[in-house]
Amino acid sequence: METNENEIRLTVKKLFDEDKIDILIGYSPGTLPLRTSPVFLRKEDDVEVLVWNSFCENTLSNYLKNYKDKRVGIVAKGCDSRLINLLLLESQVKKENLVVIGVPCRGVIDRKKIDKITGGMEVTGSEEKEDGILIFFDGTDKKVTKADILHDSCMICNYKNAVSSDIFIGEKEKEEKVDPYNKIREMEENSTDERWNYFNKEIEKCIRCYACRNVCPMCYCQECFVDCTDPEWFGKTAEIKDTKMFHIVRAYHMAGRCVDCGACVKACPMDVDLRFLTKKIEKDVLEFFAYEAGVKDDEPPPFTTFKPEDPQEFIR
Amino acid sequence: MKNPYLPFSARVDRVKIETEDNNIKSFDFILLNKSDEDAFTYLPGQFAEVSVFGKGEAPFGMASSPTESGYLKFSINKVGVVTEALHNLEEGEIVGIRGPLGNHYPLDEFEGKDVVIVGGGFAFTTLRSLLIYMQKSRDKYKDITVIYGARSPGLLLYRDELEKWQNQDDLKMHITVDKGDESWNGLVGFVPNVTKDAAPSSENAYVIVCGPPIMIKFTIPVLTELGFTPDRIILSLEMRMKCGIGMCGRCNIGSKYVCKDGPVFTLEELRKLPDEY
Amino acid sequence: MEEQVIEKKDIKSWIEGLFADYEVYAPVLDEKKGKVYKKVESTEDINLEFLNSKNSPKDIYFPQTERLFSFSRKDEMGLIPPHMDDKKKIVFGIRPCDAMAFTMLDKVFVSGENNDFYFIKRSENTLTIGIGCIKPDSTCFCKVVGGEPSSEEGLDILLIDTGKEYVAEPVTDKGKSLIEGSSFFKEATPENIRLKEEAITNANEKIQEFDISGLKERLDRGFDLPVWAKIHEKCVGCGICTFLCPTCHCFDILDEEGKEYGERIRIWDSCQFPLFTKHASGANPRPTGKERMRQRIMHKFKYFVENNDIFACVGCGRCVKYCPVNLDIREVLKSLAGDGGGKS
Repeated sequence: METNENEIRLTVKKLFDEDKIDILIGYSPGTLPLRTSPVFLRKEDDVEVLVWNSFCENTLSNYLKNYKDKRVGIVAKGCDSRLINLLLLESQVKKENLVVIGVPCRGVIDRKKIDKITGGMEVTGSEEKEDGILIFFDGTDKKVTKADILHDSCMICNYKNAVSSDIFIGEKEKEEKVDPYNKIREMEENSTDERWNYFNKEIEKCIRCYACRNVCPMCYCQECFVDCTDPEWFGKTAEIKDTKMFHIVRAYHMAGRCVDCGACVKACPMDVDLRFLTKKIEKDVLEFFAYEAGVKDDEPPPFTTFKPEDPQEFIR
Repeated sequence: MKNPYLPFSARVDRVKIETEDNNIKSFDFILLNKSDEDAFTYLPGQFAEVSVFGKGEAPFGMASSPTESGYLKFSINKVGVVTEALHNLEEGEIVGIRGPLGNHYPLDEFEGKDVVIVGGGFAFTTLRSLLIYMQKSRDKYKDITVIYGARSPGLLLYRDELEKWQNQDDLKMHITVDKGDESWNGLVGFVPNVTKDAAPSSENAYVIVCGPPIMIKFTIPVLTELGFTPDRIILSLEMRMKCGIGMCGRCNIGSKYVCKDGPVFTLEELRKLPDEY
Repeated sequence: MEEQVIEKKDIKSWIEGLFADYEVYAPVLDEKKGKVYKKVESTEDINLEFLNSKNSPKDIYFPQTERLFSFSRKDEMGLIPPHMDDKKKIVFGIRPCDAMAFTMLDKVFVSGENNDFYFIKRSENTLTIGIGCIKPDSTCFCKVVGGEPSSEEGLDILLIDTGKEYVAEPVTDKGKSLIEGSSFFKEATPENIRLKEEAITNANEKIQEFDISGLKERLDRGFDLPVWAKIHEKCVGCGICTFLCPTCHCFDILDEEGKEYGERIRIWDSCQFPLFTKHASGANPRPTGKERMRQRIMHKFKYFVENNDIFACVGCGRCVKYCPVNLDIREVLKSLAGDGGGKS
């Protein structure tokens, strides 16, 4: 990872030197242990602030919408590269304005899992080692293997390397295909009531801060349906009668457009399981349309296009 | 304990379409309870939150003068959900009115001085209130000059009253339109230019300006040229408001809340605030 | 009244005895919502292990959704105010930062001129029993904004953990009589006091401090600083910082329409949301993230100070901890107070 970090810095420096980009979206050290923070570099800024490690949890492609008229370089994990493909397909970014710096990714850690390991004690420091993460808390330290603290999305990720990029950093990470839908299959076994109860129990936590929406690169509507007041599609409270609608409609809007980067759950301050809805829809889209979002740069999401062979059992 | 969020109930007594595009209607509301009427004591420049139950409430300056007792007049432009619902109201229907809110024009300061009223478009509402109020005790004030403009004759508010006022010798009326029509034989021109031509004296005078931002922007330099100092230029601001009592947090300009510390400010006060309105 | 002492093992029994006369709100590790303050039915639910809750206890006085009144379409729009009981409340286990935030909310909602009926109804007849923070988190910065881990501001009783006991400081008369009415308390010994002082000193040493003495001067002429464009750049415009904040008080008022009845409600709103200031006409005085971020910082550290002489920030660190992109308000303050703000 360290060598890749260095290579990212050199690459970015070169891009600025050759005047290929106006701005670079990457990661910088965070102010808290286990964190990094998005950073936006201009030519005059120091590339030494750039980092690349297991704490790079943010989905940077979310920021592309803010720089539509700029030539942007972006550090892209597998998930980000798929999102960039989707944004290109949905005409949200211009290919000629973009330099995608693909990185091989071994997954990012889930702070909430570490919280469980420390029993809620505050982590006061962290060091990334080749075979795991050393965490300091409550006057002691503990080494945890990365597999135990990887984010759920990363654990079932089949695209560890950027699927398309202008520059690729380092060596490709080995990709062993895993079945990403084990959990969903288990859920599908449950009765309607059980699934409905699970959904309600999760959504009840929502405080309607819209972090899930705002960190999602695919949520770029000028006016979101939840904000619309004329007509008002549904109520504005943070009570479950309204938040339920928000999350259902949000998930449906993601159909065929979600790459399971996990940004929504990572951002959620209330630990709502938002992925089970989107993951289920992702599975359905795969089964019905043989489509995986953003894997190819010339295959638009199924609901933005029409094919004669699209399933049409619903028309009877 | 008084609950500032509970509106008074009022009945729609009269609805009048003000402008030819049908976008502005004036409503005369009558408070249902006598005690509410006594509680609702206001002065020109203040505003109230008007509710259509089920649709919400929105703030509007009172267009009536407290000297016109028995009803409250609001002239309302159709722009959003609440105003559209208001426009759909018929006589006899019930609304909620919460107020009076905010500060008023500094009427005491106007006494013994010339008063110049400059208005544009549908922002003439609280200026009507002020004008009627001052006429009730006309001898307290010296010259009263009114400069009022709209895009076209059909978009002028209170046309009957304007005509009446134009025939009075104790008011100097300058009614103008950006573009006239065959029926129009009055002034044609933008408010800043008409102000320049009318050239009201700034000596011992106050000027009150209400109108669209663009009009205000070009009128202020004219007034400054005429010698009006920022402490004698009075403006009334519009911001998105909800509570009307300085709690909900959205209408502030710097540390001032338009709903509570305003909506009436002198230009001098505004210049001390950040340019965020 | 001198300082008192209560043994830790007795604390729940003491609270248990208060259930008869009070509704008790306390920190709870809720199965659904995690670390929260809520009304407890039994002392078993109270959890004093964690430092502070995820969402602030402000919702006890200022719930996220408040029904202001309902209206009926049947008769002449009869308005039906909500039923609000007058039951006495105890907020137990509140941290000094959050208690201080209550006094700030008081300044907003109880101004004398305009008083918020609902806030007053919910907050009157309330006793606050705070627990000092002997082990502050690294994200705590109360000392920077005028608080401390053992601040008594906004509390009726302050408890300090000394190991086996809590040393209780009766702050107000209400607090005194609550202690006097209980047999669990005894007068603190010099040793108790020494342990308390030691705990407080330790906490004060642990808590981070940084210098924001230059902040006022910088913000006074800081509206147009170029740094605002930079500060907001990574902000995604969500409502986490404002919703979790114990002092943020912005709200929206709207109607919910039913066939025969409807309700006027108020809900939390956030200055970080674009629609917050958008006029019906479409004009928006704070059109981008830059203006909205500036409003949040300026309101907390300048405008509120001008109106009330205190910061609208108690340094609880929730916004630091839960920001999804690690936009750290401490860094913002440091950069503004120092020379990071750039030339105006």
